[in-house]
Amino acid sequence: MFRRKLIVSLVAWLSCLGPLWAGGGEGHHALPLYAPQLNDFVTNSMVMVWLAVGVIVLFCRAATRKMSLIPAGVQNFAEWAIESLYDFLAGLMGDHLAKRVFWFFGTIFFFILVNNYMGLVPGVGTVGWNTVDAHGHHGFTPFMRGGNADINMTAAMAFTFAILWFYWAITENGLKGFLAHIFAPKGSFGALMMLMMVPIFLFVGVLEIISIAIRPVALSFRLFGNIYGGEQTLEALMALIPKALQPFLSWLPAFPFYFMELLVGFVQALVFTLLCAIFLKLICDHGDEAHH
Amino acid sequence: MITLLAAQAAGDAGIVETIQKTFGLNAPFFIAQVINFFLVIFVLKKFAFGPIQAILEQRRARIAEGEEKLKRIEKQLAESEQTTAAAIAKANEDAVRLINEAKQGAAAFSEQKAQEAISQAQQILAKAEAAAKADRDRLSSELKREFGRLVAATTAQVTGKVLNNDDQKRINDEALAKIEG
Repeated sequence: MFRRKLIVSLVAWLSCLGPLWAGGGEGHHALPLYAPQLNDFVTNSMVMVWLAVGVIVLFCRAATRKMSLIPAGVQNFAEWAIESLYDFLAGLMGDHLAKRVFWFFGTIFFFILVNNYMGLVPGVGTVGWNTVDAHGHHGFTPFMRGGNADINMTAAMAFTFAILWFYWAITENGLKGFLAHIFAPKGSFGALMMLMMVPIFLFVGVLEIISIAIRPVALSFRLFGNIYGGEQTLEALMALIPKALQPFLSWLPAFPFYFMELLVGFVQALVFTLLCAIFLKLICDHGDEAHH
Repeated sequence: MITLLAAQAAGDAGIVETIQKTFGLNAPFFIAQVINFFLVIFVLKKFAFGPIQAILEQRRARIAEGEEKLKRIEKQLAESEQTTAAAIAKANEDAVRLINEAKQGAAAFSEQKAQEAISQAQQILAKAEAAAKADRDRLSSELKREFGRLVAATTAQVTGKVLNNDDQKRINDEALAKIEG
């Protein structure tokens, strides 16, 4: 009992010291909010994205090189992953819509997942070079940075979805149905009541438009914030170790949080996919019913 | 982006600029990441989702086909069981009929043989009786003849008279009548 109290006290004491060391100006610099440029055309997060693309290509090739009706090894795993995600989406959006849009949602989920996990590989964010800016401030630029810790990447996915959302919504409902879905009164009213409801639903429609406009921004910043926050946390935890011991022990405080980041990586991929799926399902609801 | 554009259109350029600077959001890198993202979509669609979904569909079709076959086989099995049961029932019926026929045949044969045996036995008995009767008749006639001869001889010696044939016949008949009477 005493030992437990002692450990808890020690951890609390170290936690208090952490920010002191982290902010003590002893060489630790917070992870910048933006992905630093390696040259005029490439940022370090783009390098990670390319690596993620490479990993995905290799995995796909390994999984589909020798396809057989009785799966084994990598093919088995790939089939399990894809089928599970498909069934999950089909349960949410209906089979018709899932069949139509799975290529996008599958890509979103696996791409975010691979990027998130690759951002946890040792060396990402920690291997780089020291820099000195025009004002004489010392800095550190890593060669690689998690793909989703760059707002350009998350925004690219979110805005691609936003455009495709319009396309799918209009093709599923028709332009008239799409506009009716946003502005038309829902429910059955008498003539007088309907007259009163029209301006209300028009106002609701305007709110809906604002909500639709905000969605990709929210999606971008949610994913970026979670992944950036995770990396920042790991970085700050590594900086808890005194500078003299950092080459040997900086991994220690961050180690338990890697497990949490593994969970966060999966959850964030799922949340992004799920939200996109729900947004699409909401607008295509009538279309889907018609298909059934 | 739409919000940012809207804010920009409203003349609130400062906020957009701050966001762009703070987060490093800029058009070339945004476009580059969109291209990267489409590259991933292409790769996954062509090399992962396409082939894997095709094989999943193929497997689903095969499973459905297998289930269909299984149903057909079960139906055929049920029909076959019915046919077999009917055949077995018919075979049982035939077997019972044959056994009954055989039993009847055996009984008739046995009866016939018994009748034959009885008939033969009766014939043997009749023959034996006929033979016995013939023997008895023969012995009786021999005995009668011997008895007659003895009676005649005795009568001739006692009376000292030579007996003619009529005497002998009369004495014999009288003697025989007394014996048989």
